[in-house]
Amino acid sequence: MKSLSLLMILTTLSLASCATSPPPCDGPQTQNLNAAVDHVKDSLSSGCAAHFDRYYDDLLRTAEGDPKPGNKRLFSEFLVWSADEGLLSQRQAKEYYNRYFNVKFMTLQSDYNNCSHTCPRRDRIMLDMQRELSDKERGLLKVSLDNDGYYRADELYQEIELVLEATCTACSAGQ
Amino acid sequence: MDLLKATRITFLCPSLAIIMIASSAAASTNSPTIRLFPTTVVEDLRQTSSVAREMETGLQEVIGKLDQQQELYHESKCDGAEDDPGCQRLAKQIGATYLDMLGIMEERLPDMEHTVNNTRLSLEKRLRSELGNKMTAWTLQETLLGGNPPKDSASPAPSMRGRSGMRLSERFSQYYKLVASSSSHSDQSLAVLASDIYLDMEETSTLIARTREEIARATLIEELNQSFGTITPEMMEIVGGVKSILFGDEPSRLQIAGPPPGSIEQAYRSPLEN
Repeated sequence: MKSLSLLMILTTLSLASCATSPPPCDGPQTQNLNAAVDHVKDSLSSGCAAHFDRYYDDLLRTAEGDPKPGNKRLFSEFLVWSADEGLLSQRQAKEYYNRYFNVKFMTLQSDYNNCSHTCPRRDRIMLDMQRELSDKERGLLKVSLDNDGYYRADELYQEIELVLEATCTACSAGQ
Repeated sequence: MDLLKATRITFLCPSLAIIMIASSAAASTNSPTIRLFPTTVVEDLRQTSSVAREMETGLQEVIGKLDQQQELYHESKCDGAEDDPGCQRLAKQIGATYLDMLGIMEERLPDMEHTVNNTRLSLEKRLRSELGNKMTAWTLQETLLGGNPPKDSASPAPSMRGRSGMRLSERFSQYYKLVASSSSHSDQSLAVLASDIYLDMEETSTLIARTREEIARATLIEELNQSFGTITPEMMEIVGGVKSILFGDEPSRLQIAGPPPGSIEQAYRSPLEN
């Protein structure tokens, strides 16, 4: 009788622990991007939303293994789905997409003029742009094979560096 | 800093951008117009080019004479025979021609300095107003992109500042031509062009001032050397530097790496794109 009670208690405890254990939130094991996206969507819908960054990185890595222009669309659709599901805000979805797949630098978003806002923090902005450029290399070049897009982003980085140097020199000369 | 360095840097300042920009950028009709090149800037550039050409013409003659004198000095086996009275006489002649060269530079540089400074100040005001105060970093980026990112490989080449080895007058002449025909350029290339010229003027202006100081020092030293009839290594270096100004190498074009092979499908445009 005593051993039966013990067995029942153990069984109950074991069932209870199954019910409350967190989802594994493991990354996609497949090398197929479509399948990986499906896996990530399932995981995100099952309580793993906090791991969004890691999943996005997993998807990028999977896509790098089979780069093609169509990957851009898959990422866009995945991010639109994430926003629709309330996992990301619209703004975040845009950030994720444009940082990797657009020529424009999200780092440069600002509401104030260059003399008063951009110039005082030019070094940091250029550093952030450099980081964003390496994300664009990944998204545009390694994932989507958008060579023209990446080289235009690289040119744009150099042009902005030159124009900001001149503009900020002119701004400081006028103070 | 010795005079050679100052001279070289002053006159071999970067201007690759001109060539690259010249071949790029069709006019963008729907982007807001930025006024970076008023007629005063165009006129300043024309004048700077003209002053530079005058200086080069004056120097070219003296350099030719120096070349002949140096050749005679070496042919007469004067290296190592500095005590020989004939060699001393030759050395003094070379020193005198060298002083002539410094004199020409000293005479022309104030004009150069003046016109370069005028251009610099005009551009400074425009850049501050048009790009510094009227634009955010985002609108500046959109201006540089010309409204839309290019969809083919015929996009504008990047502008790079680098030492071109181009003759000073040629450089200003190209600046002038570009700016004078600026109506055919889009805003994005004008912003890059104005920035490039401004930074070049800034550097040139500083170095002209330093060069003028160095000329005074070099003149004094050479006047002292005249008493001894010696040719200093610095003198030879300076002459070499000035020659490179006059017969500067053809500018080499910096090229961005070509795209790796791979077929590109029609560009996809996401609804998330800004």
